[in-house]
Formats: sequence, structure tokens, C-alpha cells
Amino acid sequence: MKNRLKVLRAERDWSQQDLAERLEVSRQSVNAIETGKYDPSLPLAFRIAELFGQPIEAIFLRD
Amino acid sequence: MAGIVDKIAGRRPWMWALAFAGAMGIVAWFEHRHVLGGIRSLPFVAAGCLFLIPLAKSANNCASASGTLTPAMRQYNRRMMIWAVSYIVLLGIAMSIRHNLDPQGPLLWLIAVLPSLPMLFFIWAMVRYLKEETDEYLRLRNTLSALFGLALLLGVGTFWGFLEAFKVVPHVDAWWVVPVWAMGMGLANVFQVMRDRKGNDQ
Repeated sequence: MKNRLKVLRAERDWSQQDLAERLEVSRQSVNAIETGKYDPSLPLAFRIAELFGQPIEAIFLRD
Repeated sequence: MAGIVDKIAGRRPWMWALAFAGAMGIVAWFEHRHVLGGIRSLPFVAAGCLFLIPLAKSANNCASASGTLTPAMRQYNRRMMIWAVSYIVLLGIAMSIRHNLDPQGPLLWLIAVLPSLPMLFFIWAMVRYLKEETDEYLRLRNTLSALFGLALLLGVGTFWGFLEAFKVVPHVDAWWVVPVWAMGMGLANVFQVMRDRKGNDQ
């Protein structure tokens, strides 16, 4: 699944580590989600959406 | 003391994993040449297991540096250290009793069971880690590694089993299952860590 995580992160000038700390996950998790290697679970997707103040479908896009 | 071990262990777990795999490979080669075999191999396997102590330390250091040292992983690495030390100690005790007292009956059963207890602890520690890990991606990554180890074990075991049935290769003791599984798991872990380095922004 494609996502806009990298763009949203860049807009806030956050590193992967910054985002990982805010989400309470490892940097590897952020990297894997960002590069499309891993699709997050629904609870984590909701946490990401909440953090960026956007609906899930505005962050995660269908292929 | 802990500082010295940390310094020696460094941040290259693959190096210690390679040393461990190399030690197991050497034992297997000597078994193949009939220099070692059965109970005579056990002390050499135990010596090879010493590499697991710096391997666990190094994995800790590496994970700490890359920000993946979750509380569950720290606990798992600690349990791995307990496992490696208890395996070496219990195997040593069992070997000494077997060699010096030549026990029979229930005592022989007891000392034969001793070295397998830490192996059961090892399997329990892996299950505990998967239950305790709250980072879903790391949990998936380590589950995949464990499955790869299992696939390798089933593949090698089946392949070797049939070769053995047709008497073209020598017999291999069943306690090799955990080292083969652990080697497969380690290999899969190294592959996944290297793959994940792509796309890192730091």
C-alpha cells in the first residue's frame, strides 16, 4: 500500500526517529511502513492518522 | 567487567553468528571424519556456544545504536545469556558425572535430560519474546526469522533423513535440531536487517 508518510514527516521536519518516538515504535517500523514494505495494523494506522490530524485514507492510498 | 564484554562484543552480531556457525560447522566436519561423534561432540558444541554470549551482547549494542532495543528485546537478549551459560554449565555437569561415575538407571536418565532443559528454556524465551514484543513490525520480522529457521530445519532434516535411510551419510544426533534452527533464524535476521537498511534516513 502506498502512503504519504515521508511527505507528512518532511513537512514537519521530523526524522524517522522523531516519528518513531511519537508513535512509540522502532525506527525500523517507520522505515518499513514508509517504504511500503509493511502495512501497519489498524490500531497503528489510527495512531498515525491521529498524530498527523488527518483521516487514514488521506495518508494510506490504494495501489 | 560488563564494560569489557561490551567493548569486545562491539556492534557486529553477524561476526559472532558467523563464529558460532563456523564452530558448529567444524564440529560437524569432525563428526563426518569420525574424529568426533555422539557424546564426544558435546563439549565442543558447548565451547562453540560461548560465542553466543558476545553475540547476545553485540545484538544488544547494535539494537541500542539503531533504536530498536525494545524492552522485550532487552529481556530476550538477557534470557539468551542465561540460556547460553546454563547450557554450558549443565552440559559440563552431565559430562563430568557420565565420565567419572559411569551412572546407570535413573541417574543416567537424569544427567541425559540435564542439557536439554536449557534448550526448552531457549524455546520458551522465543515464545515469551513474541508475546511481549509490542512493536508489531519487529514482532513480524522475528516471527519470519523463526519460520525461516523452521523451514531450514525441516528441509535439512528431511533431506538428511532420507540420505541416512539409504545409508549414504552418517547418523546425526537429534539434538542438532536447535542449533540448525537457530542458525536459520540468525541468517534470516541478518538478511532482514540488511534489507531494512535501505530507506533509512540516518
